Amino acid sequence: MNVLEISKLKVGETRSSRLDETPPKLSQAEKDALVQQYHPDYIKEAYGTIRVGMNKGEQTVHRVVSLLEGESPLASESIRLEAKQQVDVLIIGGGGAGSMAALAAKASGASVLMTTKLRLGDSNTVMAEGGMQVAVSPEDSPVRHFLDSLRGGQMANDKILLKTLVEEGPSVVKWLIDNGVMFDREEDGNLSLRPGGGSSKARLVRCKDYTGLELMRVLKDCVLNEQIEVLEYMPVLELLTDEAGGCSGAILKNLDTNQHFVVQAKTVIIATGGIGRLHIQGFPTSNHYGATGDGLPLSYRAGAKLTLQDTFQYHPTGAVFPEAMAGILVTEAIRSVGAHLLNVNGDRFIGEMETRDAVASAIIRECAEGRGVETPSGRKGVWLDMPLVDTLNGAGTLEDRFPNMVKQFSRYEIDITKEPVLIYPTLHYQNGGVEVDVDGESGVNNLFVAGEASGGLHGRNRLMGNSLLDIMVYGKRAGEAAAKRATSTEYKSITLQHLDRFHEAQKEAGVIPDTVSPILFPDYVNKS
Amino acid sequence: MNEVKITVDGATHAVPEGITVVQAMWHIGREMMHDVGCLGGACGACAISVRFPGRFDNQCYLACQTPVEHGMTIAFMPSDASKKEIAPLPRTEPAEQVLFQYYPETRRCVGCRSCSMVCPVGIDVMGGVRAAIAGLHQDVADRFTNCVMCGLCAAVCGAGIRPHRVGAYTRRLTGAFYEKEATQLLERINEIASGEYQDEWNTLLSSELSDAREEVLNECT
Ligand SMILES: Cc1cc2nc3c(=O)[nH]c(=O)nc-3n(C[C@H](O)[C@H](O)[C@H](O)COP(=O)(O)OP(=O)(O)OC[C@H]3O[C@@H](n4cnc5c(N)ncnc54)[C@H](O)[C@@H]3O)c2cc1C
Ligand code: SF4
Ligand code: SF4
Ligand code: FES
Repeated sequence: MNVLEISKLKVGETRSSRLDETPPKLSQAEKDALVQQYHPDYIKEAYGTIRVGMNKGEQTVHRVVSLLEGESPLASESIRLEAKQQVDVLIIGGGGAGSMAALAAKASGASVLMTTKLRLGDSNTVMAEGGMQVAVSPEDSPVRHFLDSLRGGQMANDKILLKTLVEEGPSVVKWLIDNGVMFDREEDGNLSLRPGGGSSKARLVRCKDYTGLELMRVLKDCVLNEQIEVLEYMPVLELLTDEAGGCSGAILKNLDTNQHFVVQAKTVIIATGGIGRLHIQGFPTSNHYGATGDGLPLSYRAGAKLTLQDTFQYHPTGAVFPEAMAGILVTEAIRSVGAHLLNVNGDRFIGEMETRDAVASAIIRECAEGRGVETPSGRKGVWLDMPLVDTLNGAGTLEDRFPNMVKQFSRYEIDITKEPVLIYPTLHYQNGGVEVDVDGESGVNNLFVAGEASGGLHGRNRLMGNSLLDIMVYGKRAGEAAAKRATSTEYKSITLQHLDRFHEAQKEAGVIPDTVSPILFPDYVNKS
Repeated sequence: MNEVKITVDGATHAVPEGITVVQAMWHIGREMMHDVGCLGGACGACAISVRFPGRFDNQCYLACQTPVEHGMTIAFMPSDASKKEIAPLPRTEPAEQVLFQYYPETRRCVGCRSCSMVCPVGIDVMGGVRAAIAGLHQDVADRFTNCVMCGLCAAVCGAGIRPHRVGAYTRRLTGAFYEKEATQLLERINEIASGEYQDEWNTLLSSELSDAREEVLNECT
């Protein structure tokens, strides 16, 4: 037997004796120390200084620095800036935030065009499993939700954004129900609530472990019913600005024909989602194929300011074995119903319901200090012991509540109702992003940003379940605000003056771009 | 690393064992765009038809979720071409069979089971269509919980039925009309609207939170 198998046996042996153990809750000081020593956000060598633009002098990871300082794909091409289409509100990105924004803008009386890199719904949203936070139980309150999020976010959250999120959450859930989202219910009709990491009360609403699929399916249906025009396989390469520096449209590229498509818009909403496919610090990722952070360089070159661009969420439990599943998420909800984390010796080493930054740091610590388990392909991980979930909640719980998870592992002949799986943190979420106000407007006039591409709301660490709520609440707000603005303004000129300014700044700072950005897709193709 | 042989569009390639079909495509040098989306088994962009030499079964899978196997012949399936009807939800609880207003062909099911055989996520699609004909909304809704809307079931249905669209519409009807009221949610919305939390917010937001850090942190644990 190899080390992996011996260790797996130990996990089985210690299972029953671990049942009544509760690892001590970390004090704030202990948590700070743990995170500062092991969390990837604190690895100094991974960070560099941004040399141009609104965040000049600030830090982020090298990969993002080079995207922000990158060359526009249009730099080497001459494009005729003649609008092929005019629209009140242009929405960039067909995930949850984009769809919600499109529906809200349409409902507010604006003409809407949505353009997206893959197909409508191919996104991070469609993969969300665990659920969405909303304070609805009588023991809970929006204020509590606010405080939990603040604690999770290391107090760096924008308080106005956060207050608006927790207060508008319940109404937006009502809207979703009215539109046919099938949330799990209790016998009496109330929403079934589950606890989430870092939350003092159970407030996760969900649809089994298909929450994102359900939300996206309904939103997509709504977008199509509203006959909102959607351009697929048409990513945005560059924004357009007017004489005064406001945003006035975008240049799209048709991936099938390689033709450019110029859109003149009164307002633009960026809803391009996260950055997982940049594989920051070499981490695997849970994100969709198009999660390459395109919204960051697009808005940055147009003159927007970013906030908390140096902080990323590494979800504690990404699969590391089998290799084919590397990076795939094992939802946190599974820990909230009793799964344990164990090192090579079968010992627990962290409270499973600490916030994500703390749990991820503890896993990295165990592996760094030799208490991890190595997979055949050389990855390191620790055990996530799921059979306990059935022991604690009754046989069949895993199959009933986490059918997708059971199925995913069973394809590789791993039965999670009987054996533990190996996990390691996976790059999951961009905590920061483009700085916005409570209507989602960025520092650039008429440029709105919603969803994972925006930043501030979540502080330095997003609480589980707050992102789905974010995209609903702020997708809607941005859509409404953009529509309102659009219906009371005229079309502005479309120019690339912001690019000229940016080039000037690059020259001044002596920056020679080493990347063309946005990059659109990760480069996985074997060239040899 | 052991290798297995797979065949794609007539050409056979050796690829490492233990990777997914999508990863194998990258390995053999293919750019992927139309045939991938989420890479997490949820978007339905990557459906494939798979056959093995000497076997008669023809199964469809999601390429991002399927490990390569020696001898497999793979074809990527085209995207969903079935029309989605403009089918808004009614304003009030509908009469039983509103579904057929939009998808009248559903009743023509001949029970051939092709849709169930082809579904890459293992839904008993025909059972869902049958339940829809019988007006069993909750049953239809449950069956299509994990439908990734790849559209293969509609592509193979000789009767022109669009089972996934029937499923999606029935789920929306169920969510909107056939569940009991979520009273706690409605109460919370009223509380917020009536300003019930205003005092708490005033105290919280007026104090300089960074000074009161420990206090805030302790309060919520
Ligand atoms: C596996 C997984 C599980 C998760 N589970 C949960 C959970 O349980 N609860 C929770 O709250 N959150 C969860 N999250 C986080 C949450 O799902 C996302 O943060 C959120 O859905 C992001 O929504 P979005 O609309 O901002 O971005 P996305 O849904 O990613 O949509 C972005 C869209 O923009 C498109 N796009 C990108 N670049 C361009 C471009 N240049 N031009 C045009 N279009 C472009 C993309 O193709 C995509 O369609 C999870 C995330 C993942 C990956
Ligand atoms: S029910 Fe139809 S659309 Fe849904 S996953 Fe199965 S084959 Fe695809
Ligand atoms: S393929 Fe069509 S006719 Fe055959 S069982 Fe399915 S729905 Fe009925
Ligand atoms: S890529 Fe989305 S299901 Fe495979």
